Amino acid sequence: MEISDALRRVSTGLPAAPGPAGPLAPGRRAPAIAVTGIEPGGVRLDDLAGRGAALLLFVSEECPTSALAVRNLGPLCRAWESAGLSATAVFEDPLDVALRVARTLGWTGRVVSQDPPYQTSREYGLLAVPTAFLVGGDRIIAASVVGWNQPALADLVAKGAALVGSGPLPAPPATEPLLKPGCSSKAAMDPEVAAAVSRPAAADEMEEMFERGWTDGLPVVPPTRQRVEAMLGGADASSSLGPVPPSMGEATLERVAACAVLAGCRPAYFPVVLAAARAILDPAFNLHGQAVTTQPAGQLVVVNGPVRQALGLNSGMGALGPGSRPNLTIGRAIRLLVTLLGGGMPGTLDRATLGHMGKVGFCVAEDEETSPWEPLHVERGFDPDQSVVTLIGSDAPQNISDHRSRTPEDLAYILAWAAATAWSTNWWPLAEPSVFVICPEHAEMFRAAGWSKQQLREFMFDAVRKPAADLRRGETTPVVARADPADMIGKWASPESIVLLVAGGEAGRYSAVLGPCTGMGAQIISREVEPL
Amino acid sequence: MTADDTVRDYISPFDERVRPAEPLAVRPDSVASARIALLDITKNRGTEFLDRVESQLQAAGADTFRIAKEIFSKPAAPAVIDEIAARSDLAVEALAD
Repeated sequence: MEISDALRRVSTGLPAAPGPAGPLAPGRRAPAIAVTGIEPGGVRLDDLAGRGAALLLFVSEECPTSALAVRNLGPLCRAWESAGLSATAVFEDPLDVALRVARTLGWTGRVVSQDPPYQTSREYGLLAVPTAFLVGGDRIIAASVVGWNQPALADLVAKGAALVGSGPLPAPPATEPLLKPGCSSKAAMDPEVAAAVSRPAAADEMEEMFERGWTDGLPVVPPTRQRVEAMLGGADASSSLGPVPPSMGEATLERVAACAVLAGCRPAYFPVVLAAARAILDPAFNLHGQAVTTQPAGQLVVVNGPVRQALGLNSGMGALGPGSRPNLTIGRAIRLLVTLLGGGMPGTLDRATLGHMGKVGFCVAEDEETSPWEPLHVERGFDPDQSVVTLIGSDAPQNISDHRSRTPEDLAYILAWAAATAWSTNWWPLAEPSVFVICPEHAEMFRAAGWSKQQLREFMFDAVRKPAADLRRGETTPVVARADPADMIGKWASPESIVLLVAGGEAGRYSAVLGPCTGMGAQIISREVEPL
Repeated sequence: MTADDTVRDYISPFDERVRPAEPLAVRPDSVASARIALLDITKNRGTEFLDRVESQLQAAGADTFRIAKEIFSKPAAPAVIDEIAARSDLAVEALAD
């Protein structure tokens, strides 16, 4: 009896069946691989080894030794990759299972999967998992290690470093256990036994979304093809809105629709999401700067026009808070576009020191019916019956309570001075917009007094001034630094830096101001909501 | 259900194209006689920092020149990148505040 037969009997308890004869030895030519990965177009061995050398780690989900190998080697893959040694975990499991296990165990290399009858494992002669192969750029096997064998794996990595001509590469940690036998490869099992030990796919679809990284940290709606097609509503899935900064992922409508599904949007919201996406991708919005800055800036979506009623957007009670699906999910879809497709995920390319909750999603509808003034989109040149989104880089809202003012002057003074600390106590003047959300009771006082929007804006602009001498503690602006001590400095560079909206519940004298995103040269951008 | 069926069932929000990592440029042993671009990204106090770096590089024999981005929060204009590539062997970018 050959050794392979003996091993097969031990590992499966079944009589010998035609199967692998033992791992291919160094010096043999590495067979092609027949595997599935998340990359479109498949995975070829030449691509893996082409930049220097490839490490193939055959594993399976059910095997504790495989888990040990994936956990210990996983964090090292990126360093190997940057030196030209690619690292690929070849699972004998469905791809969704492989991705989940790899993410859970911290594998940072490529993940691929084999279907029964595990042809690639067979051609590499696998009897056990884990088994590691080092394949040179010439497709010749340079080394192999069966089971968990830390010294042998360290030696294999050293050989890999020599193949790619790099200095020493990080080796697996010399922590116990140094040696651990593996488990039977499914390629070496009776097919019925292999099928029996394979787990059913996608045991928990919601958890899988986290494992794929398709989330902002909250549960998402899985973007099935059916849901994405419903979101697209017949629009051309492959047409593109352009690259999304900062990582410049291509915003095909299909991917934008996937973000909208993940966010929880209904298909009816998609035209609003698309209009907002077009707005943030206008170079004048400087999404690149907003997405990567250490500032807390988020992307505020303001919705005006008939689409508010058509979709049921909330502009009333709790207008800046929870409770309304279209507000929350439209804002979230835009942020998922930035974080997933644009790569602006906090902690990676998004370097925000603190961020704020509006970066989960931030969408407000203006209460045009209660407002005494022309709505924002009309100010910006649109007709009242057009539906428009306006995107503004903005900080978190700060509440402004005023239940005692009895004149519009007093109220305007209170509102304006609440913004004196926007951005920073002594950062005057601000060129970028401060957005005031005026509540209906406050708005009513200005209506009763006959104040126009521009009149209020100019009053607020004139009201907030201080001598330069009072603004010279800590960080301040070049304007303040250059001014004479007695010069009066305004909080804003012009009245146009004050944006006024009306929204909120009918009772309660609470307005809010949202500070700016500064230093970006970021403009306010409006786009009409168009049919698909 | 096969793995393939499972994968096809979802539409990825990611741009899944794999971009090969750019290899790092070869590091010189010395800056003597090297042409070095000093890129001011217009961040606050970046100029002071570059002044110090420039004096040390010049003391080491480097041939330096200054160039600036329009604004720190946007990627450098292609013309700026082209000029750095055309005129220098090395580049130093200053981030400051």
